[in-house]
Amino acid sequence: MIGEKIVVYGAASPLGRRVLDALRANQHINPVVADRLNREALRTAVRDADIVINATMGSAAAISLAAKRLFEALRGEAPSKRLVHVSSMTVYGNAVGQCNETSPPVEPLGKYAAAHIAAETEAQGFSQMVILRPGVEYGPGCEAWSGRVAAWLAHRRIGDLGAGGDGYCNLIFIDDLVHAVLAAMRSPAAAGRVFNVAMAGPPTWNEYLIAYAIALGATPARRMTRRRWTLETRLLAPPLKVAELTVGRFPFIARQLPSPIPPSFRHLCAQTIQLDVTAAEEILGLNWTPLIAGLRAAATAYGLVVRR
Amino acid sequence: MLLDTTDFPDNHEIRADIIIVGAGAAGITMALDLIGCNQSVLLFESGGLEKEPATQHLYAGAVVDARLHSPPDRYRQRRLGGTTTIWGGRCMPLDPIDFEVRDYVAGSGWPITYTDVEPFYARANALCEAGAFAYTTDATFGPAALPIVAGFTSPDYSTHRLERFSCPTNFAARYGHKLRGRHNVQVVLHANLTQIVLDENGTQVRQLLLRTLSGRRLTARGGRYVLATGGLEAARLLLANRDRHPRGIGNQHDIVGRYYMCHVAGTIGAIQFACPTSAVYRGYRMSPEGVYCRQRFSLEESAQRREGIGNFIARLHHPRITDPAHRSAILSLLYLAKPLIPYEYQQRLHGADGNSPGDWLRHVTNVVTGPIEAASFTWHMVRDRMLAERKFPSIIINSKANLYSIDFHAEQYPNAASRVLLDDTVDALGMPRIKIDWRYLPEDVHTVSRALEILARDFAASGVGQLHYDPALVETEITRYGAYGGHHIGTARMGSDPRSSVVDANCRLHAVNNLYVAGSAVFPTSSQANPTLTIVALALRLAAHLSRMEALR
Repeated sequence: MIGEKIVVYGAASPLGRRVLDALRANQHINPVVADRLNREALRTAVRDADIVINATMGSAAAISLAAKRLFEALRGEAPSKRLVHVSSMTVYGNAVGQCNETSPPVEPLGKYAAAHIAAETEAQGFSQMVILRPGVEYGPGCEAWSGRVAAWLAHRRIGDLGAGGDGYCNLIFIDDLVHAVLAAMRSPAAAGRVFNVAMAGPPTWNEYLIAYAIALGATPARRMTRRRWTLETRLLAPPLKVAELTVGRFPFIARQLPSPIPPSFRHLCAQTIQLDVTAAEEILGLNWTPLIAGLRAAATAYGLVVRR
Repeated sequence: MLLDTTDFPDNHEIRADIIIVGAGAAGITMALDLIGCNQSVLLFESGGLEKEPATQHLYAGAVVDARLHSPPDRYRQRRLGGTTTIWGGRCMPLDPIDFEVRDYVAGSGWPITYTDVEPFYARANALCEAGAFAYTTDATFGPAALPIVAGFTSPDYSTHRLERFSCPTNFAARYGHKLRGRHNVQVVLHANLTQIVLDENGTQVRQLLLRTLSGRRLTARGGRYVLATGGLEAARLLLANRDRHPRGIGNQHDIVGRYYMCHVAGTIGAIQFACPTSAVYRGYRMSPEGVYCRQRFSLEESAQRREGIGNFIARLHHPRITDPAHRSAILSLLYLAKPLIPYEYQQRLHGADGNSPGDWLRHVTNVVTGPIEAASFTWHMVRDRMLAERKFPSIIINSKANLYSIDFHAEQYPNAASRVLLDDTVDALGMPRIKIDWRYLPEDVHTVSRALEILARDFAASGVGQLHYDPALVETEITRYGAYGGHHIGTARMGSDPRSSVVDANCRLHAVNNLYVAGSAVFPTSSQANPTLTIVALALRLAAHLSRMEALR
C-alpha cells in the first residue's frame, strides 16, 4: 500500500533478506531495517510503523535478544499495529505425530525451543500479532538446511539414515515462507493467530536427503551405518564444534574443517512430528513449492559445494 | 506397542478389530500401514526378538524327497521380522503376463491384474528399501546405461530390465521403532496360534487360541483375521484346524497345500564371449539413490506366448564353485570358507564335484596362487557386505578369460501334485507338523530348455559369443540344488472359483467370511520374480481393503 511503513527486524537472516527484497520490489514501500538501531531509534521506528516484522533467526541468544529489544520498543504502541513474528516449529519440543497450533510443547525443551516459546509469549501480548511457526527452511540462502546439508552430502557424511531418518522433514521452501510473511501482514483474518508453516505431506528425512543428493548430483546416496552415524553425531560433533569456535576467526583454516553434524540434527531426523498446516492454507491462502522444484533451486545455489 | 504374552494373565482374552498372525514381511507391512487408522490391530508373533531354537523347531517337519527340497525349518525364521531377518533382498515386481490366464500354463490366471497391484508397488519398494519403483535401465540410469554385453541383440530377450536389492532390510530391526510406538497397533510376541475357532456354520472365525511354549494361553477375538505366516505355515494352520471343516479350513475342494511352487533355478553351460572383456558387464550398479541394481536377460512376453513356455530370466554367472577347475582364488576361498557361511547361502558350495581330497587340495592351490585376488576379495566382502548396512548382494567375479556360465530363474508351473500336507508327528504345542512333497513338471524343464535354446541362438546370432551346454543336463541342473530355497508359493491360491482356489481376489477365504491370507501362499502362479516385493505389495493392498471394510461397518 502506498506510504505504508514497515519495519523489519532480523533483516540479516536468510528470511529477512528475502522479505526485504520482496518488499522493496514494491516501489511504494521503503522498509526500515531495524537490526542496528539503538534503543531510541528502534522505538521511533516502530512507533511510526504500520507493520513490524520480526524475522530473526539464529541462536537462542539471538532470538532472545531480538525479542527483548523489539518487544520493549513495541510496548505501549497502538494496538492496531500488525506484528508478524517468525517463530519456529521447535516450540513443540519433543512432540510426535500431527501437531496443530494448539498442541502443547513436549519436554524436554532445549534452549532454542525455550527462547522461541518465551518470544512467542511476548508477541502474544499484541492483539494484532501473527505468529508463524516455520518448519525446516530450505532453498537458496538457507545455509543451515540447504548449504551445510549439501556439504555433508557431497562429502558422503550423510545420506540414507535408515531408521534414524524416518522422522518427518517439515520443509518450507524459503520463498513460501516469504509469501507467508507477506500474507500475514495483510490478512485481516490472521490477526491474533498462530500458523504452522511447512509443506503439506512432508517427506521423511531419508526422502529429503536422498532427493537432495540426487538434485546435487552427489550420487549414489550413501546408506549410513548406525556406527558411522553415531560416530558423526556423538563422537566427532563435539570436538569439531570446539574446533569451529576456536578457529572461527581464521576463515581460511575454518573452511578446511568439516562442519559438525550436531546431536540435535540426529534427534530431529528421527522425530516423527508432522505439522498440521491446514490453517496456513485456508487463512493465509498459502501454496507450497513442490519438493523437486525447491530442491533444484537449492542445488543450483549450493551445487558448487559438490563440485568442490 | 510391543508386548509379550507374559504381559497378560493366563487365559486372558484380547480383542481388536483386526488380528494378524505372523510378524514377517506381510504381517509387519500390514501393521505399519494400519498404524493411525481407526481400528485396533493386534499382530501376533510366535517368536521373540531373536532366534530361539525351541521356537524355530516348531517349523521342523518332513520332506518327501530331501534331494529336492530343503528341510521345512530352513529358509524361514520364526521370530519378529520373520524370514526378512535372513533374506537375500532381491526385489522385482511380477510381470503383467504373470497375472494372465495362459492356455499353455494349466492353472494360470489371477483374479486380479497387474494394474490392481501396481499402485502398491512403489510403497512396497520403499518398505523393502529398494529405492524408486523403477525397474528398467532407462528409468534408473538414463541414456548412459550400459548393456550387459555390448553388441548383444535379441528379438526375444530384453536386457534393460533390472532387479533391485534391498539392504536386505530386516523388517524387525528397521521398523521395530515404529511398532513400539504408542498407537492403535499392538504386537504380542511368543504367541503361537494353535486353534482357529469357527462358528457353528463354519463360515466365521469366532476367536483364535494362542499358546506359549511354556503353556500360557491367550484368546483373541476380532472382526477380521489375517494369516500372515508364510506359504508353508498358512497351509499348515488351515489344514490342522478341522473342527468345522473336516478336511481343514477352506479345504472343501482339497486345494489347500496343493499347487506348492518355488522357482526352477540353476546354473548351466559356458559362454565364451568373443568381444573384449570390457564389453561384458555382469556386476551391480548403484542407482542414484544408492541401491544395488543388476540387469538380466528377460524372456519377452511375446516369446513366452509364441513358445508356450513360462516366465524366465537369466544372468551371467561365474563357473560352478565346487569345481576347482575354475582356477579362481576367490571361488576356491568361498568353497573353503563354507563352514562360515550361513546355511541358506551355502547351497551352491555343496555338490557332487569338488569333494575329494584332491579337489580340496586344488582349491587350496587356487587360493595360494592368487593371494592378492583372494585378499582383495576378502577386504571387499568385509567392507561392502559384513560392515555395510546396504550389503553388496552377492559374489561377482569378472572373468579375465571372458568365460561365464548362465544362471537362470524360471517360473514353476502350478501342479496339484506338488503339495504341503500334514505329517503324522506333532510339535511341542501338539500341532501336526508338515510334510513337503515338492514336485515339478516336464513343462518346467521345457521352459528352461527352450529359453536356453533361444538365448544360445541369440548370443550366436549377435556374434558376441557361443553358449555351450548339454541340453540333456537341463533337468539335472534344475534339480542339482532342489527347489529354490525360501520361495513358498501357491498353497492357498487366489481365484474366483472356490473349487479351484482357496482365497478370493481380496485374499479372503471363499469359505470363511472374516479370514484372510497374506503372503505368497495366495499367488496362483509363481512368475520369474522373487516373491517378497509382491508379498509386501499385496499386504499393503490387503491392509487398504481391510481399512475400507472396517470403515463401512
